[in-house]
Amino acid sequence: MDYTQITDAQHEEMLSIIGIDHVDRLFDVIPESIRCQEGLDLSPPQSELELQRSLTEMASHNVGAHNMVCFMGCGAYDHFYPALIDQLISRGEFLTSYTPYQAEASQGTLQAFFEFQTQIAQVTGLEIANSSLYDGATAVAEAAILAVNTTRRHTVLVASTMHPEYLAVLRTCLADLHVNITMLTATNGKVLPETVREEMSDDIAAVIVQSPNIWGQIEDWDGCFEVTHEDAKTLAVAVFNPIACGLLKTPGECGADLAAGEGQPLGNALNFGGPYLGLLAAKEKFVRKMPGRLVGMTKDEDGRRVFCLTLQTREQHIRGAKATSNVCTNQGLIALRASMFMTTVGREGLTEVASHCWHKAHYLAEQITAIDGWELTFDGDFFNEFTVNCPVDVTHIVDSGKERGVLVGVAANGRRMRKLSEGNELIIAVTEKRTRHEMDALVSLLKELST
Amino acid sequence: MTNHPSRGDRPVEPLVFEKHVAGAYGVDFPPLDVPETPVPHRVAGSGVPLPSIGQHDVMAHYTHLSDRNFSVDGNFYPLGSCTMKHNPRINEWAASLPGFSCLHPLQDEDCIQGALRLLYETRTMLEEISGLHEVSLQPAAGAHGEFTALKVIRAFFTDHGQPQRTVVLAPDTAHGTNPASCTMCGASVKQVRTIDGHTDLEHLQEVIAEVGPENVAAFMITNPSTAGLFDPSIKEMAEIVHGAGAKVYLDGANMNALLGRVKPGDFGADAMHYNTHKTFSTPHGGGGPGSGPIAVTEELAPYLPVPQVMMADDGSFYLDRDREKSIGKVRSFFGQFGVLVRCWTYISACGPEGLRHVAETAVLNANYLAVRLQEVYDMPYFAPEKGAFCAHEFVSVPQTLLDKGVTLIDIAKRMIDYGVHPPTMHWPIHDCLMVEPTETESKHALDQFVDVMLQIANEIDQEIACVKNAPLVSDIARADEVGAARKPVLVWND
Repeated sequence: MDYTQITDAQHEEMLSIIGIDHVDRLFDVIPESIRCQEGLDLSPPQSELELQRSLTEMASHNVGAHNMVCFMGCGAYDHFYPALIDQLISRGEFLTSYTPYQAEASQGTLQAFFEFQTQIAQVTGLEIANSSLYDGATAVAEAAILAVNTTRRHTVLVASTMHPEYLAVLRTCLADLHVNITMLTATNGKVLPETVREEMSDDIAAVIVQSPNIWGQIEDWDGCFEVTHEDAKTLAVAVFNPIACGLLKTPGECGADLAAGEGQPLGNALNFGGPYLGLLAAKEKFVRKMPGRLVGMTKDEDGRRVFCLTLQTREQHIRGAKATSNVCTNQGLIALRASMFMTTVGREGLTEVASHCWHKAHYLAEQITAIDGWELTFDGDFFNEFTVNCPVDVTHIVDSGKERGVLVGVAANGRRMRKLSEGNELIIAVTEKRTRHEMDALVSLLKELST
Repeated sequence: MTNHPSRGDRPVEPLVFEKHVAGAYGVDFPPLDVPETPVPHRVAGSGVPLPSIGQHDVMAHYTHLSDRNFSVDGNFYPLGSCTMKHNPRINEWAASLPGFSCLHPLQDEDCIQGALRLLYETRTMLEEISGLHEVSLQPAAGAHGEFTALKVIRAFFTDHGQPQRTVVLAPDTAHGTNPASCTMCGASVKQVRTIDGHTDLEHLQEVIAEVGPENVAAFMITNPSTAGLFDPSIKEMAEIVHGAGAKVYLDGANMNALLGRVKPGDFGADAMHYNTHKTFSTPHGGGGPGSGPIAVTEELAPYLPVPQVMMADDGSFYLDRDREKSIGKVRSFFGQFGVLVRCWTYISACGPEGLRHVAETAVLNANYLAVRLQEVYDMPYFAPEKGAFCAHEFVSVPQTLLDKGVTLIDIAKRMIDYGVHPPTMHWPIHDCLMVEPTETESKHALDQFVDVMLQIANEIDQEIACVKNAPLVSDIARADEVGAARKPVLVWND
C-alpha cells in the first residue's frame, strides 16, 4: 500500500472543487517529452505481511552480534543498552517530529537536545557541545574545518594512529579547501609529543589525536596538547570514545580545545555502520564557529524557562555560502538515544561500564598473551581494545572464529581497514557484554589454532 | 526556581540535572566476573558529573518531554519542502530486526549477504526512479548528498582537464544548503534570478556569459522549484547548462511530486540527491537521522564514493573498493544503513503504481488546499483559472491579512493553538507561508486545516488580539529567541 487516504469518491470531489476533470491536468505543465511513458520498472507492491516475510528472510542471511560472540571494535562497539531506550524512542512524538524551528511546538525535542549538549560537555570535560553531527568521521572533519576557519591556517597535523575511515573522510572533506594534512608518525603504536613538536610550524591550524587510537592504545593527549599549545593559535583536537571518559582522563582534562567523537557506544545498536552519532564539544570561545544545530536556554514572554534553536545565523538556511557548515538535518533521534542512555546509567553507571570494559579487556589480553607465540603488538596502556601479533595467519583465525560463532576481532591488514598494516595483527575489542566464559572460549580457540 | 507556574497549570519539566539524586541509578549491571586490573594514575580520569536518576523517573522524564512536541503522528504538519508524510511502523519493525541492527560494519561479506542484498536492491530502485545510471547510498543526509555530488562533478572536470570549473549557479530561491555545500567543496556560488518562482532563462545565460562558460561547474536546481512549481522550461534550462559544458544538479527535496511521473535523468539532470526522510517516509526524528543517496550519469559514476555495493555474476553481493577515480569516502562505513532499510521497505510497499499514486495524491492534496484557501490567503503563483496549478506544495503571501495588522509569525503561532504545526515561513520568499500537506493526509484532515486557517483569518477581523498574542493555550508563550542568541546558554550549570 502507498499509505494515501483519499478514496476514489473523494478524489472526484476534490477534482471538481479544483475545477478539473482529471488529475493529469495538474501535471500538464510538464512537457510531454520528459514525462514517463512507461511505469517504473520496480517489483510489484508487497503487503505488510509479505514485507514481514521477505525482510525476515533477508535478515536471516546475515549473522552478527545477535547470534555470534562479538569481539570486533574499530569504531563500532557491541555495548549493552537498556530496553527502555527502544521503547521511549518509539514514541511518535519524538520519532515523527522534525527540526524544532517552532519553539512553542517543540519544547520536548529542544529540552532533550539541551540536556544532550550538557551531557556531552560533562562527558568530554569541555564547556559546550552541539546537538550532533552525522558520525565520528564527519565530526572530525568538521572540527578540522572549524580550526582552519578560526586560525586561518592551512595545515592540520593528524595522528597516523587515527581510525583510517576517519582519515579517509577528512581527506575528502579537506581536498578542495586548500588544506594540507601532515601525518604524525607513531612510535610503538602512539604519537610522541616530540613528534608533534617536530612537525609544528606557523601554519598549523590543529593537532588531531585519537585516544584510544585505532590500535586501542591510549595516547598521550596531555603531552601532545601541551606541545600544541606552545603555539597559542593552534587548536588541540581530541578524538574520543565517550565510554572511555567514564574511567580515563577526558579531553578537557588533557587540555583539548575541541573534542570530536563517535557516539554509537552510547545506547545505539551496531546497525551495520549507521545511523551513528557525531559528537562535537568545544571550549566556549568557539561557540559562534560551531557547525550544526545548537539549542539555547531562554525565557518566554511570561518569564518561563524555555528552549529554542539559537545562533542560527551560523547556519546554512540563514547564511548560505558563508555558513559554518552545510549541515541541516543531523542525528536528532540518535542523540536522543545517547542522552537517554547517559541519563539511565548515570554517573556511576558510566564509570561502571567503562571499568568493566577495562578489566575484561585486560583479563583477555593477559590470557591470550599467556598462549605460546601470542604477544601484544604494543606495550602501552589500552582501554577496551588491544592489538595482538598472531603466530598464524590472521585470516585463518578470523575464518575459524566464524565457524565457531565468534567474531574474533578485526584484522589490521584487511581491505576494510584501508591497509592499516601489512602485518598479521588482530585488533580485539571487549565490552561489558562479554563474559568470562566467552573470553575463555576465545582463548581456547586461539590456543587450538596456534598448535 | 525550576517549577515556574505554567499555562494550563502544567509545571515546566525540570531538567534531568535538577532531578539528580546521588546514588540513584536507572539500570544495574552484573557483577564483574574477572579479576580487576588497576587503572594507572597516568591515565585515570576524575569521573564525569552526569546526573543519576531512577528508572521510573527516566520513563517519566522522557514521557513528559515527548508530551511537549508536535509530531506527524499527532498533528497536521504541513512544513513546506520537508515532506512530513506518515511514517509507517513496518519500517521501524524492519530496521530493528536483529539480523540488520546487530551487524558490525567490518564483518566479512559472506556473513552479511542479506544486508548487502538490501543495499544493492535499494541502489537499483533509486537508479530506476531517477532515470540515472548509478546511485551511491553513502551520504548521510540531503545536504551531505549535495556536497558529495558536487565533489563528484568537480572530480570529473579535474579529470577532464577543466579544474577551473569552480563556479556553481543556483536560483535565488535555492535551499540554504546549496550554497553552503558549494563552499565546502571550494566552489563559489552565483545566483540566478527567478521570476514568479521560475528560473529566468535570460538571466541564466547572462550569468554564464559573465563568469565565462568554461568556469561553470554546475547549475543546482530544484524541480518542482522551491516555490512549489513544475518548471515548464526545465529542458531548455538543461540545454543551456549543457551548452556551457556544465552539469545540471537536481536538489531532490521535491521528488515527492515527480515519483513515477518524471525521471530527472529524462529532463537532463546529471546528478541529484534524494532525501529518504522526505520522499521515502523514513522518520524525521526531531532532526535526523536522514539519508541522502545520490544518483549520477554514467560519465560521473567512476567518481562516486567508495565502497559501492555490487552484485557478482554468481548472484552474490560484495563491496567494491577499487575505484581509482573515486572522490574517496564521505562518511565512515556505508552510510545510514538503518535508514536505508526503512527506505527499501517503503518502496517495496508502494510498488511502481503506488509511487506514481503518491505523487498524484501529493499534488492533488496541495491543489485542493490552495483552491480552498486562495480567496483569503493570497497566493502569488497560483491561478487555476489560467491553468497555473501548484505541484505538491504552495506559497502564500497573505498580504491582505498582514495589512490588517498582524505578522506572519502571529498567524503561525495562532496555528499552534489549533494543534497545527506552522508551515515553512519566510522562505523561499519573504513573508510567505509554504504549505505541503503530503499525500498521506485524509480529506477530513485537509478540511480541518482549511477550517483552522479560515478561522484565524476570521479572528484577525473579529478579535485580532488572540492572534497577536498567540499562542494562548500552548505550554509556553513566545520564546525570546533574540535574547537566546545574544547571550547563548547552551549547557546547564548549577
